Formats: sequence, structure tokens, C-alpha cells
Amino acid sequence: MSARRPGSSINGKDTGIDPATSTGTAFSGTLAPELDGGSKVELAPEMGPYQIAWRRLRRNRVALGFGLLFILIVVLCLLAPVYASDVAHTTPYANHVTDTVQVGGKTVDVVSLTGLPVGPTWHGRFFLGADANGRDVAVRLLYGGRNSLEIGGVATLITIVLGLLAGIVAGYFRGFADGLISRLLEVIWAYPVIVFGAAVGVIINVGGLDLGFVKLNGGTLLVPAIIIGIVYIPYVARPVRGKVLSVRGLDFVDAARQQGLGHMRIMAGEILPNVTTLAIVMIPLQLAQSILLEAALSFLGAGVQSPNPSWGTMIGDGTRLIPGAIHLTLVPGTMLVLCVLGINIFGDGVRDALDPRAKLRIER
Amino acid sequence: MKNPRVLSGPALAALAAALLSACGSSSSSSTSSTSGASGSSGAKATSAATVVVGTAPDYLDPQLGYTTQSAEATYPTYTGLVTYAHKDGAASLTVIPGLASAVPSVSNGGKTYTATLRPGLKFSNGAAVKASDFTYSIERALKLNWGGDAFYTGNIVGASAYQKGTASTISGITTDDATGKVTINLIAPYGAFDNVLAFPSSAIVPSGTAMKNLSNSPPPGVGAYQITNVVPNQSFTMQINQTYNAEQIPGIPPAHVNVNVKIEANNQTEAESVLNGTADIFDPGDTLPPALISQITASSHFAKQAIQQNFYFFLNTKRPPFNNILARQAVIEALNQPALSRLDSGNFAPGCYFLPPGIVGHPTAPCPYGDPSKGGNIAAAKALVAKAGLTGTPVDVYGETRSPRKEFVDYYASVLNQIGFKATEKILADATYFPTIGNLKLNPQTGFADWNQDFPNPIDFYLLLDSSSIQSINNQNFSQVKDPHIDSELKALGKIPAAQLGTVSARWQALDQYVAKQAYEAVYGYQQWPKFASARVDFAALHFIPLYGIDWSSIQLTK
Repeated sequence: MSARRPGSSINGKDTGIDPATSTGTAFSGTLAPELDGGSKVELAPEMGPYQIAWRRLRRNRVALGFGLLFILIVVLCLLAPVYASDVAHTTPYANHVTDTVQVGGKTVDVVSLTGLPVGPTWHGRFFLGADANGRDVAVRLLYGGRNSLEIGGVATLITIVLGLLAGIVAGYFRGFADGLISRLLEVIWAYPVIVFGAAVGVIINVGGLDLGFVKLNGGTLLVPAIIIGIVYIPYVARPVRGKVLSVRGLDFVDAARQQGLGHMRIMAGEILPNVTTLAIVMIPLQLAQSILLEAALSFLGAGVQSPNPSWGTMIGDGTRLIPGAIHLTLVPGTMLVLCVLGINIFGDGVRDALDPRAKLRIER
Repeated sequence: MKNPRVLSGPALAALAAALLSACGSSSSSSTSSTSGASGSSGAKATSAATVVVGTAPDYLDPQLGYTTQSAEATYPTYTGLVTYAHKDGAASLTVIPGLASAVPSVSNGGKTYTATLRPGLKFSNGAAVKASDFTYSIERALKLNWGGDAFYTGNIVGASAYQKGTASTISGITTDDATGKVTINLIAPYGAFDNVLAFPSSAIVPSGTAMKNLSNSPPPGVGAYQITNVVPNQSFTMQINQTYNAEQIPGIPPAHVNVNVKIEANNQTEAESVLNGTADIFDPGDTLPPALISQITASSHFAKQAIQQNFYFFLNTKRPPFNNILARQAVIEALNQPALSRLDSGNFAPGCYFLPPGIVGHPTAPCPYGDPSKGGNIAAAKALVAKAGLTGTPVDVYGETRSPRKEFVDYYASVLNQIGFKATEKILADATYFPTIGNLKLNPQTGFADWNQDFPNPIDFYLLLDSSSIQSINNQNFSQVKDPHIDSELKALGKIPAAQLGTVSARWQALDQYVAKQAYEAVYGYQQWPKFASARVDFAALHFIPLYGIDWSSIQLTK
């Protein structure tokens, strides 16, 4: 049975918010205390911490709007196969170099004799134009989005899980474990993320990775996902460690020890709930970072491998044709910006909703 | 064209095999020569020209350089016993005396080459050139495992033993520093040996030059330039060699301006910088960006130049699925050469034969697997793959990042998937591509390849199909073709002096048709190169050399 930290619950439920960071405004009744700014938050009886956060989030229309934008992008990307087969009638890999297409009542080459691809037709076929190999940009955009989001999602999962694990273990045990983990994190942190990712990405993409128990073929989406997931671990682990250091000496942890609970149960039952909020806040921000890094690595040829599309590879492939076919960089670039903007602003909203100090700014 | 020496002699057995690499493709070597005004030594640079190149030279050390980009730099910097004429176009393919007073004389049935150094020659560091420096330079190329070392080990007596470490020097080369006499004994007559001596790897560097890669600080040489300020993969400077006395070597004029060479991977930026005058020369080995083609071709400082070159996808005959001729046929059936031509901005002519037009032996017969000027036949190719029971076979397709090579490979992988294979692309950085796929341990299944002539002789192209060219590193026989018929033909044809090539044209044609029929390589076209310079360059004086691109020593600025 785990001991609860005094003041960290609302109506007996864990807020998941560290009182140490909540400006002493632990909620214990149906009416929130008057805050610094004089605003009040009405709390329904039996309202849990996440319900409170959701309620705050709903009031943040900007964050919700961008959250919906992100969801819309995700849905569109998930519908990529439908669009490709039923609208564009092609695949993301099919080359149509010598095909023709109707534009404004005229028949034009998908790729001209001098190698210039057709721009947006605003019709089903080549709605957003073709690339240098005569591939449908709209189809590749949606499939590329799936790849970018998939890599970003898996990378974020890796980062959060391993970052939490490393941070909790280091902060809880301190001493040798802390020293070892912290130095390791510093080594990763000290190396420029893109350079490190590009170096490892190129090596694995060419030769694959075979560690006996782990085998990765070059070219799989797992390669950039794992690389990105690992290089960002310090960005999660270090703040988590700091938080754990501030929590591990508190009474409720001592109480748990006194009750004879083992390290694992204390970390899982007492420490983890107190860093969960931090992790939740980091998820969207980390997702945005991961998608951006994936785009950068793919642009450099160390991420998603051709002919698999991703927004980064599409931008990279399009750079040589910027003057004549700017849609090749503009389209995936815009999608990347919208996606990351959506995640970031929504993520800020989530953070504000979970952070009472940030709430003050909203209330005002 | 090269200087013919009559080689009588027996058959050189391994000869063909040996030759290889130095040339061409994006890999090859060089030689130099001159044209233009011969001037007095050490012309003063009044300003500097800027050359932008898409791919960094693999090495700037003459005994290691193996690509055209490398040769472009080493050709006007280092000179061997012979070199190529510093003239524009086809005239530059003539072998002329370099540091030797005359083109080597041939005796002993084509097996002995004798030359004498010109007197009073000095390296760029001021040291005197000695005959023994020639031996040292060849030994250095062997010790450094130059990619084309088979040209030496397969031809020069004792070269192989030296490379293996069983001899302290090359027994087949004797020199006399007092008289400057150099004598080279061959294992067997080899018709193109003058061309071997004209490679940049055969250029003379001082004895005692470190037996290691000196690309970051290239060794002294004899030539119009010296290479300085090397920033790997970024830039270097071709600085006028003030010690070079052009009057000593007629045919190799001094340089007019210093040249700053910048590596610019984006051909769009590369072309724009020449158009707007921030750079002066667009590297001919790069592709003109489609978006700027109309602007560039309208320029009075642009011309398309014919080169003897081919583009092909190698098909590893030692690994499934391409150890099956049906799979190889399927690839050739499926390729749409006109589509590939568009990816290269229309800058190459579709074709199917390994020997390009302009090389003796280029067949005129129809292609065995369909007209390359028409689109590919995917259905027929798919049927062939199915017939061979190879549907679903995984295939790794290697390519490099440079445009349009990446686009070629994107297209190729798509075609392979359409005909039933499961293709995965492996795109490598330009600078590491050929060394990587040339490592036999990697044993790549298929991928992009090309070849630019090292010298105007079909034997130069056929080194890529010679079984003895298969090497553990720097392998150029990517398809690992080991065909007794090809080997025996090369053994016989390789002895034919260049001047007599016409007499064996039909035999070369038959061999090339045989190779096309066997589908050893999926050839898809022959490229033309752009000669494109900024408005301030004297375009008429600028020399395009089909072997290596632009002769930088011919650059003259008018503004």
C-alpha cells in the first residue's frame, strides 16, 4: 500500500502535480482558493485532476484549434491509401516520367523533356503536382506524413519511456547509478543531435544493425525512430531526475520505506505518479521535436530512405528544383510547419492546463 | 587518339585484365597536356577564377586519385613521361611527350618502352626531377593501392611482386639519373601502354614522398599548378606554379589565373553562381538543373560537348537474382530509356551497348532486348521474372545522392518493384559511393554505375568486364563478370596498337553485341557534358577535354 503525499490530492485523488511547483495552491474543496490574480476556479465536487486540466484546456480555444489541426493532419495521412487508390490512382512509388496529364484543357508532360515536373493541377491526378520522377506529390505528402508521424510517435515513446526510467533510477538511487546514468546522458547531450543522428543513421541505413539480440535492416523506419528516440533521452531524463531528487526525500516516500516496500514498488507507486505530469507535458513537445529531427535527418539522407517518402526527404529532393518547381519544397514544408505548430501550441495548452502557475496566465 | 606503338608480340595474356580502373566513371584518372599559348614560365595571376564542382575529388594525391573530379585537378598539376595535348575537344586525346623529351620508343616486340627525361626539370618545390623518381612514383601508386593498379601489375615486369612485398623495387623499370633514361619492360605487349603512362597516377613526384594519402597536402609535381589550401570536401586552390618553366615542355602552357575550387553539391546553386558571375566554371560532370536550362542554353558561354561515356546499372552475376540471365534480361526489357533521359534533363542519348558511340567497336546492330528509344516493356519483364521463379526476390539498389543519379536509382528501384522484385534503395554520399560499392565484401546486387573513357580505346571500357579486374577493394567490375569468352577476346584485342584498332573494329562489335546479349550490364544511355562558363571567361580559349572535363589551365578572364 502506498503512502500518499499530504496535500497532493483533491478529494482524496492524486493530482499528479507536485505541490512544490504548484505555488501552494493545493485544492481540497469544491471551490478553489483565490489565486494571486484574484481569479477563482470553480471546481465541481469529485472532480479529478485530469478533469480539471481538461476543463482548463477546453477554455484555451487557440490550443484546441491547433490540436484539431494536428488531428486533421493525422486523419488525412491515415487516409493516404484511400486517396492514392481512389483519387490519384497511383502509389507513392510509381514513376510517371513519360506520362501526360491534362492541365487547363491542355495535355502536358508530367516531366518535361528537360526534366521539369508539372506543378499543381488541382485535379485528382497530380493535385499538388509531380516530383522529378513523375511521382504524385499529394500522394507522397500523405504517405510521407504517415512515415513522419510514425517515426515521431515511436521516437517519442522511446524517449519518454527510457527518459523516465533513466531519470527515476538516477534520481532515486543517486550515488553510482546516478553518476553512471548522468555521465552517459551528458555524453549524448554533448554531441550535436543532428550530427550524431546523421552519423549513426548513415551507418545503420547502409549496413543495418546486428547486435545479436537486436537486428535492424537498413532502410526500415525503425532506424530513424530509434536514433531520434535515443538522442532525446537526456532532454526528458534530466528534468525527471531533478524532480525525483526533490521528491525522494519527502515524507510519503519515507513512509513507504518504513512500511517495507521495495525499491521497485516505491519507484512505481510513489515516485512515478509524481513525475507523470511532467512526462505528459513533454509528450507533445517531444513529438514535435522528433518530427522536426526526422525531417532534418531525412533531408540529410540519414533518416527515411528513398523511395520511401517523408516530409524531410521530399524537401531534400525538391531543393535542386526550387526555381522551376517550388511546389516540391513548399508543399511538404508547409505541412511540416502546420503539423509542428499544431503539436507545439496544443502542447503548450496541455502544459498550461496541468500547471497551476501557468493557469494563472490563462485566468487573467 | 593515342600514340600508337607497334606491338608485335605475343599475346598478352592477362593484359586486358589488368587495365582498369583509372579511368572513367566517376572514377578515373588523368593526364595532361596543353594548348594555347605557350608562355613563359610562371605567369602571374592577376585575379582568380572560381570553379564549382558537384562532387569532391576522391583524392588530390596523384597516386590515389581515381575519379574524373580528381583528374581534373591533377591533370594540370602533375605530369608524367607523357601526357595528353592541352587542346580543345578531340584534339586533346593525343598523347604528347610530357617530362620525357619524346614519346617513349618501343622495342623488343612491343615489350620495352624507353624514354629520356628532359634536362633541367624541377618540381614545384624546386627540387630537380630525376629518372629514378619515375620508379618511385609507380611504386607509390602500387603501395597506396591505387584503384587502377592493375594497369601496372598486369603489364610491368615485377610490379606485382613489388606490390605483394616480395621485391624491394619494380624489376621491370630501370633508370639512370645521370642520363635521365627510363626503361620499362612489359610482361607482354599492350597496345594502350602509352595511355597508361599518361595517367595522373603515372605522374612523377619526388622520391621520398610519403607513402600515404597526401590529399590534404598534395606532394610537389611538375605542372602549371600546385594544389594548396585544401579543405577536405569543401574547397582547394589551384595556385599557379611559379617554378614551372613552360618553355621546357612545349605543349604544356602555363596557367593564366589561380583557380579557387569549391564543392557545391547542389547543382542549382552551382549553375546559379555561374550565371550570376559569382563563379566562373560549371563542372561538366554535373547535371544542369532543369529549371535553369533555358537560361543556360541561351548563354553564349554554353555548349554541349560529346564525351565517350556510358550510364548503366550493374547486375551482380554472382548473387541472386542477377546470376540468372532471365532476371538480367528482365531489367533491360523493363527500362524506359527515354524516361531516364528526362531525368538527366535530356542530356543523354538512349542506348544498350556498353561501348558508346565514338569508340571503335560500338555496334550498329539493333539492340537484342528492344529498341531503347521506345519505352520499356514492363509486362514482358514481369513475365521473365516470374518464369525465372524470382518474383519477390529482395534486391538492394545502390545509388549516390548526386542528381540525377539519385533520380535514376529512384526510377530503377520503382521499375524493379513493378516487375516483381522487392527493391530497397541504399543511397550513399557521392564521395564514398564508388569506394563502398567497390568493396567486394559488400557484394552489392545492383546499382548505378557509369564510365568515362580514360583514353580512346575500347579496351578501356572493357576493363570493367574483365575477370581479372575483380578486386577486393576499388573493384570496378561491379557485375563481377567472369566470362571466358570475354577474357580470351580481351587478351587478343588488348595487344592491338591504337593505330590499328580499325582493323579489329568488327571483332570489338561482335564482343559488344555478345555482352549485350548476355545482359551483363543494363546500359541505358550515353551522356553529353555541358561546357558552361561565366561571362567573364574567354570562352573561345577555354578547353574542354573529353577525358576529364575542363582544362583549368586554359581559363582566361576577360574582366
